Amino acid sequence: MKLPNSGAANAVRESLRSVNPEAWVDQHGDYLYRYALIRVRHPEVAEDLVQETLFAALRTYTNFRGTSSERGWLCGILRNKICDHFREHAREVSYTDLEFLRDEMSHKFIGQDWNHDLGPAEWKPDPEAALDRKEFWETFRSCLDKLPERVADVFMLREMDELDTAQICEALRISENNLWVMLHRGRMALRECLQLNWFERKSKMKTGTGWS
Amino acid sequence: MSSFHKSSSLPAENPSLLTGRNWLERSLIRLIASHTPKCREVVKLLSQSMEVTLPITLRIKLRLHHLICAWCQRYERHLRALRKVASSLPEHVDDCCPETLPASSKERLKQALRGKGR
Repeated sequence: MKLPNSGAANAVRESLRSVNPEAWVDQHGDYLYRYALIRVRHPEVAEDLVQETLFAALRTYTNFRGTSSERGWLCGILRNKICDHFREHAREVSYTDLEFLRDEMSHKFIGQDWNHDLGPAEWKPDPEAALDRKEFWETFRSCLDKLPERVADVFMLREMDELDTAQICEALRISENNLWVMLHRGRMALRECLQLNWFERKSKMKTGTGWS
Repeated sequence: MSSFHKSSSLPAENPSLLTGRNWLERSLIRLIASHTPKCREVVKLLSQSMEVTLPITLRIKLRLHHLICAWCQRYERHLRALRKVASSLPEHVDDCCPETLPASSKERLKQALRGKGR
Protein backbone atom coordinates (compact mmCIF):
# COMPACT_ATOMS: atom_id res chain seq x y z
CA MET A 1 0.00 0.00 0.00
CA LYS A 2 1.55 3.26 -1.09
CA LEU A 3 0.66 6.12 1.23
CA PRO A 4 0.97 9.73 0.15
CA ASN A 5 3.63 11.91 1.76
CA SER A 6 1.90 13.96 4.41
CA GLY A 7 2.04 14.43 8.15
CA ALA A 8 -0.95 12.19 8.79
CA ALA A 9 0.20 9.50 6.40
CA ASN A 10 3.66 9.51 7.94
CA ALA A 11 2.07 9.12 11.36
CA VAL A 12 0.18 6.05 10.13
CA ARG A 13 3.38 4.64 8.60
CA GLU A 14 5.16 5.23 11.90
CA SER A 15 2.45 3.59 13.97
CA LEU A 16 2.18 0.50 11.77
CA ARG A 17 5.92 0.10 11.85
CA SER A 18 6.27 0.58 15.55
CA VAL A 19 3.71 -1.82 17.02
CA ASN A 20 5.67 -3.46 19.74
CA PRO A 21 3.38 -4.89 22.39
CA GLU A 22 6.27 -5.89 24.62
CA ALA A 23 7.25 -2.25 24.82
CA TRP A 24 3.72 -1.52 26.03
CA VAL A 25 4.45 -3.65 29.09
CA ASP A 26 7.60 -1.68 29.85
CA GLN A 27 6.22 1.76 29.10
CA HIS A 28 2.63 1.44 30.31
CA GLY A 29 2.40 -1.74 32.38
CA ASP A 30 2.83 -0.13 35.76
CA TYR A 31 0.53 2.76 34.94
CA LEU A 32 -2.26 0.48 33.72
CA TYR A 33 -1.78 -1.80 36.74
CA ARG A 34 -2.00 1.13 39.15
CA TYR A 35 -5.05 2.53 37.39
CA ALA A 36 -6.77 -0.85 37.64
CA LEU A 37 -5.70 -1.32 41.26
CA ILE A 38 -7.32 1.97 42.29
CA ARG A 39 -10.57 0.74 40.76
CA VAL A 40 -10.73 -2.93 41.66
CA ARG A 41 -8.49 -3.07 44.76
CA HIS A 42 -7.41 -6.68 44.28
CA PRO A 43 -3.94 -7.16 42.74
CA GLU A 44 -4.85 -10.38 40.89
CA VAL A 45 -7.91 -8.81 39.34
CA ALA A 46 -5.91 -5.73 38.39
CA GLU A 47 -3.31 -7.91 36.69
CA ASP A 48 -5.96 -9.81 34.77
CA LEU A 49 -7.45 -6.55 33.56
CA VAL A 50 -4.07 -5.32 32.35
CA GLN A 51 -3.57 -8.56 30.46
CA GLU A 52 -7.02 -8.39 28.87
CA THR A 53 -6.34 -4.77 27.93
CA LEU A 54 -3.07 -5.52 26.17
CA PHE A 55 -4.52 -8.53 24.33
CA ALA A 56 -7.43 -6.40 23.14
CA ALA A 57 -5.03 -3.65 22.13
CA LEU A 58 -3.03 -6.08 20.02
CA ARG A 59 -6.22 -7.25 18.29
CA THR A 60 -7.45 -3.75 17.52
CA TYR A 61 -4.19 -1.97 16.81
CA THR A 62 -5.20 -0.99 13.30
CA ASN A 63 -7.91 1.19 14.83
CA PHE A 64 -5.27 3.22 16.62
CA ARG A 65 -3.63 5.49 14.10
CA GLY A 66 -1.62 7.66 16.45
CA THR A 67 -4.52 10.06 16.78
CA SER A 68 -4.21 10.08 20.56
CA SER A 69 -1.42 9.08 22.86
CA GLU A 70 -0.67 5.39 23.11
CA ARG A 71 -1.23 5.49 26.85
CA GLY A 72 -4.55 7.31 26.43
CA TRP A 73 -5.69 4.72 23.93
CA LEU A 74 -4.68 1.79 26.17
CA CYS A 75 -6.35 3.50 29.12
CA GLY A 76 -9.58 3.75 27.15
CA ILE A 77 -9.52 0.00 26.56
CA LEU A 78 -8.77 -0.59 30.25
CA ARG A 79 -11.73 1.57 31.28
CA ASN A 80 -14.04 -0.60 29.17
CA LYS A 81 -12.55 -3.74 30.71
CA ILE A 82 -13.09 -2.30 34.19
CA CYS A 83 -16.72 -1.53 33.40
CA ASP A 84 -17.19 -5.05 32.01
CA HIS A 85 -15.68 -6.41 35.20
CA PHE A 86 -18.21 -4.51 37.32
CA ARG A 87 -20.99 -5.64 35.03
CA GLU A 88 -19.99 -9.27 35.56
CA HIS A 89 -19.53 -8.70 39.28
CA ALA A 90 -23.04 -7.22 39.52
CA ARG A 91 -24.47 -10.58 38.46
CA GLU A 92 -23.12 -12.19 41.61
CA VAL A 93 -23.17 -9.38 44.10
CA SER A 94 -25.90 -6.87 44.80
CA TYR A 95 -25.11 -3.24 44.18
CA THR A 96 -27.96 -1.96 46.26
CA ASP A 97 -25.74 -1.08 49.20
CA LEU A 98 -27.99 1.48 50.80
CA GLU A 99 -26.98 0.79 54.39
CA PHE A 100 -23.71 2.66 54.11
CA LEU A 101 -23.72 5.99 55.89
CA ARG A 102 -27.40 5.71 56.76
CA ASP A 103 -26.86 7.16 60.24
CA GLU A 104 -23.18 8.01 60.43
CA MET A 105 -23.54 11.65 59.52
CA SER A 106 -26.35 12.28 62.00
CA HIS A 107 -24.07 13.91 64.54
CA LYS A 108 -23.06 16.49 61.94
CA PHE A 109 -26.57 17.83 62.01
CA ILE A 110 -28.75 19.33 64.68
CA GLY A 111 -32.19 18.18 63.68
CA GLN A 112 -32.36 18.80 59.94
CA ASP A 113 -29.77 21.57 59.82
CA TRP A 114 -25.97 21.58 59.83
CA ASN A 115 -24.23 21.79 63.18
CA HIS A 116 -22.18 24.93 62.58
CA ASP A 117 -19.14 23.58 64.41
CA LEU A 118 -19.10 20.26 62.56
CA GLY A 119 -20.41 21.26 59.16
CA PRO A 120 -18.40 22.00 56.02
CA ALA A 121 -15.47 24.31 56.73
CA GLU A 122 -13.71 26.67 54.35
CA TRP A 123 -11.24 24.65 52.32
CA LYS A 124 -7.98 26.56 52.42
CA PRO A 125 -5.71 26.60 50.61
CA ASP A 126 -7.81 26.35 47.50
CA PRO A 127 -8.51 22.75 46.36
CA GLU A 128 -7.00 23.62 42.96
CA ALA A 129 -3.61 24.06 44.60
CA ALA A 130 -3.90 20.64 46.24
CA LEU A 131 -4.06 18.90 42.85
CA ASP A 132 -0.32 19.50 42.39
CA ARG A 133 0.62 17.80 45.63
CA LYS A 134 1.54 14.12 45.63
CA GLU A 135 0.49 13.80 49.27
CA PHE A 136 -2.96 15.04 48.37
CA TRP A 137 -3.43 12.16 45.92
CA GLU A 138 -2.22 9.69 48.52
CA THR A 139 -4.81 11.11 50.90
CA PHE A 140 -7.52 10.95 48.26
CA ARG A 141 -6.74 7.35 47.47
CA SER A 142 -6.88 6.33 51.11
CA CYS A 143 -10.24 8.14 51.46
CA LEU A 144 -11.48 6.28 48.39
CA ASP A 145 -10.33 2.98 49.87
CA LYS A 146 -12.39 3.67 52.99
CA LEU A 147 -15.61 3.65 50.98
CA PRO A 148 -17.39 0.31 50.63
CA GLU A 149 -16.27 -1.20 47.30
CA ARG A 150 -19.59 -0.82 45.60
CA VAL A 151 -20.04 2.82 46.59
CA ALA A 152 -16.52 3.54 45.31
CA ASP A 153 -17.30 1.68 42.06
CA VAL A 154 -20.38 3.80 41.49
CA PHE A 155 -18.63 7.05 42.37
CA MET A 156 -15.66 6.35 40.09
CA LEU A 157 -17.75 5.15 37.15
CA ARG A 158 -19.61 8.46 37.38
CA GLU A 159 -16.81 10.86 38.23
CA MET A 160 -13.67 9.34 36.78
CA ASP A 161 -15.04 7.51 33.74
CA GLU A 162 -17.85 10.06 33.35
CA LEU A 163 -20.45 7.45 32.43
CA ASP A 164 -23.99 8.78 32.60
CA THR A 165 -26.74 7.62 34.92
CA ALA A 166 -28.36 5.28 32.40
CA GLN A 167 -25.07 3.55 31.55
CA ILE A 168 -24.20 2.91 35.19
CA CYS A 169 -27.69 1.68 36.08
CA GLU A 170 -27.62 -0.73 33.14
CA ALA A 171 -24.17 -2.05 33.97
CA LEU A 172 -24.74 -2.54 37.68
CA ARG A 173 -28.43 -3.47 37.48
CA ILE A 174 -29.53 -0.78 39.88
CA SER A 175 -32.31 1.75 39.80
CA GLU A 176 -31.74 5.45 39.28
CA ASN A 177 -32.78 6.06 42.87
CA ASN A 178 -30.26 3.53 44.18
CA LEU A 179 -27.59 5.26 42.13
CA TRP A 180 -28.42 8.69 43.49
CA VAL A 181 -28.44 7.49 47.10
CA MET A 182 -25.06 5.79 46.67
CA LEU A 183 -23.58 8.83 44.95
CA HIS A 184 -24.92 11.14 47.64
CA ARG A 185 -23.57 9.05 50.50
CA GLY A 186 -20.26 8.37 48.76
CA ARG A 187 -19.74 12.07 48.09
CA MET A 188 -20.68 12.95 51.65
CA ALA A 189 -18.18 10.46 53.07
CA LEU A 190 -15.38 11.44 50.69
CA ARG A 191 -15.91 15.13 51.38
CA GLU A 192 -15.79 14.48 55.09
CA CYS A 193 -12.64 12.36 54.79
CA LEU A 194 -10.83 14.92 52.66
CA GLN A 195 -11.78 17.74 54.99
CA LEU A 196 -10.55 15.85 58.03
CA ASN A 197 -7.36 14.44 56.55
CA TRP A 198 -6.25 17.16 54.20
CA PHE A 199 -7.82 20.58 54.58
CA GLU A 200 -8.14 20.61 58.34
CA ARG A 201 -4.57 19.38 58.74
CA LYS A 202 -3.27 21.99 56.33
CA SER A 203 -5.00 24.77 58.19
CA LYS A 204 -3.72 23.48 61.54
CA MET A 205 -0.20 23.56 60.15
CA LYS A 206 -0.65 27.16 59.10
CA THR A 207 -1.79 28.31 62.51
CA GLY A 208 0.88 26.22 64.20
CA THR A 209 -1.50 24.42 66.50
CA GLY A 210 -1.54 20.72 67.32
CA TRP A 211 -0.69 18.40 64.43
CA SER A 212 2.60 19.00 62.63
CA MET B 1 -33.91 27.87 61.24
CA SER B 2 -30.25 28.92 61.12
CA SER B 3 -29.27 31.23 63.93
CA PHE B 4 -31.81 29.94 66.40
CA HIS B 5 -30.37 26.66 67.54
CA LYS B 6 -26.95 26.09 66.05
CA SER B 7 -24.66 25.01 68.90
CA SER B 8 -22.21 27.68 70.02
CA SER B 9 -22.35 29.92 66.97
CA LEU B 10 -23.56 33.41 67.72
CA PRO B 11 -25.11 35.30 64.83
CA ALA B 12 -21.89 37.36 64.66
CA GLU B 13 -19.84 34.22 63.93
CA ASN B 14 -22.24 32.87 61.33
CA PRO B 15 -20.51 33.26 57.96
CA SER B 16 -23.75 33.14 56.01
CA LEU B 17 -24.87 36.17 54.07
CA LEU B 18 -27.93 36.67 56.22
CA THR B 19 -27.31 36.18 59.92
CA GLY B 20 -30.10 38.00 61.72
CA ARG B 21 -28.11 41.11 62.64
CA ASN B 22 -31.24 43.17 62.48
CA TRP B 23 -34.97 42.86 62.33
CA LEU B 24 -35.09 42.81 58.51
CA GLU B 25 -32.54 40.01 58.23
CA ARG B 26 -34.31 37.99 60.85
CA SER B 27 -37.58 38.32 58.96
CA LEU B 28 -35.91 37.37 55.70
CA ILE B 29 -34.30 34.38 57.33
CA ARG B 30 -37.64 33.22 58.74
CA LEU B 31 -39.27 33.67 55.35
CA ILE B 32 -36.56 31.82 53.46
CA ALA B 33 -36.30 29.06 56.05
CA SER B 34 -40.01 28.37 55.88
CA HIS B 35 -40.04 28.14 52.09
CA THR B 36 -36.85 26.21 51.41
CA PRO B 37 -35.71 22.68 52.25
CA LYS B 38 -33.65 21.94 55.36
CA CYS B 39 -29.91 21.24 55.11
CA ARG B 40 -30.29 17.45 55.22
CA GLU B 41 -32.56 17.66 52.20
CA VAL B 42 -30.45 20.34 50.54
CA VAL B 43 -27.31 18.22 50.51
CA LYS B 44 -29.23 15.40 48.83
CA LEU B 45 -30.57 17.83 46.24
CA LEU B 46 -27.13 19.29 45.64
CA SER B 47 -25.80 15.83 44.88
CA GLN B 48 -28.76 15.12 42.62
CA SER B 49 -28.25 18.42 40.81
CA MET B 50 -24.93 17.03 39.60
CA GLU B 51 -26.82 14.27 37.80
CA VAL B 52 -29.94 15.93 36.49
CA THR B 53 -31.18 19.46 35.95
CA LEU B 54 -33.49 20.20 38.83
CA PRO B 55 -36.75 22.05 38.19
CA ILE B 56 -36.29 25.82 38.23
CA THR B 57 -38.30 26.27 41.43
CA LEU B 58 -35.99 23.91 43.29
CA ARG B 59 -32.93 25.61 41.87
CA ILE B 60 -34.20 28.96 43.11
CA LYS B 61 -34.93 27.49 46.52
CA LEU B 62 -31.40 26.14 46.74
CA ARG B 63 -29.96 29.58 45.90
CA LEU B 64 -32.16 31.16 48.55
CA HIS B 65 -31.11 28.55 51.09
CA HIS B 66 -27.46 29.43 50.44
CA LEU B 67 -28.21 33.00 51.57
CA ILE B 68 -28.97 31.75 55.05
CA CYS B 69 -26.59 28.80 55.13
CA ALA B 70 -22.90 29.15 54.33
CA TRP B 71 -22.39 25.45 55.15
CA CYS B 72 -24.57 24.20 52.32
CA GLN B 73 -22.96 26.74 50.03
CA ARG B 74 -19.54 25.33 50.95
CA TYR B 75 -20.87 21.80 50.54
CA GLU B 76 -21.85 22.56 46.94
CA ARG B 77 -18.39 24.00 46.27
CA HIS B 78 -16.84 20.90 47.79
CA LEU B 79 -18.92 18.61 45.59
CA ARG B 80 -17.66 20.44 42.54
CA ALA B 81 -14.10 20.21 43.81
CA LEU B 82 -14.56 16.46 44.35
CA ARG B 83 -15.68 16.10 40.75
CA LYS B 84 -12.59 17.98 39.57
CA VAL B 85 -10.36 15.79 41.72
CA ALA B 86 -11.85 12.51 40.51
CA SER B 87 -11.72 13.51 36.86
CA SER B 88 -8.06 14.56 37.28
CA LEU B 89 -7.08 11.24 38.82
CA PRO B 90 -5.89 9.65 35.55
CA GLU B 91 -3.04 12.20 35.44
CA HIS B 92 -2.05 11.40 39.02
CA VAL B 93 -2.27 7.62 39.14
CA ASP B 94 1.48 7.38 39.72
CA ASP B 95 1.29 9.88 42.59
CA CYS B 96 -1.02 7.74 44.68
CA CYS B 97 0.20 4.25 43.85
CA PRO B 98 3.55 2.93 44.95
CA GLU B 99 2.62 -0.53 43.63
CA THR B 100 4.19 -1.95 40.48
CA LEU B 101 3.55 -5.00 38.34
CA PRO B 102 5.87 -7.73 39.61
CA ALA B 103 8.72 -8.47 37.21
CA SER B 104 7.56 -12.07 36.83
CA SER B 105 4.10 -10.87 35.79
CA LYS B 106 5.64 -8.53 33.24
CA GLU B 107 7.67 -11.39 31.79
CA ARG B 108 4.63 -13.62 31.58
CA LEU B 109 2.69 -10.84 29.90
CA LYS B 110 5.41 -10.23 27.33
CA GLN B 111 5.63 -13.94 26.52
CA ALA B 112 1.89 -14.15 26.10
CA LEU B 113 1.91 -11.12 23.80
CA ARG B 114 4.77 -12.58 21.77
CA GLY B 115 2.69 -15.71 21.33
CA LYS B 116 -0.35 -13.71 20.22
CA GLY B 117 1.64 -11.69 17.75
CA ARG B 118 2.48 -14.73 15.64
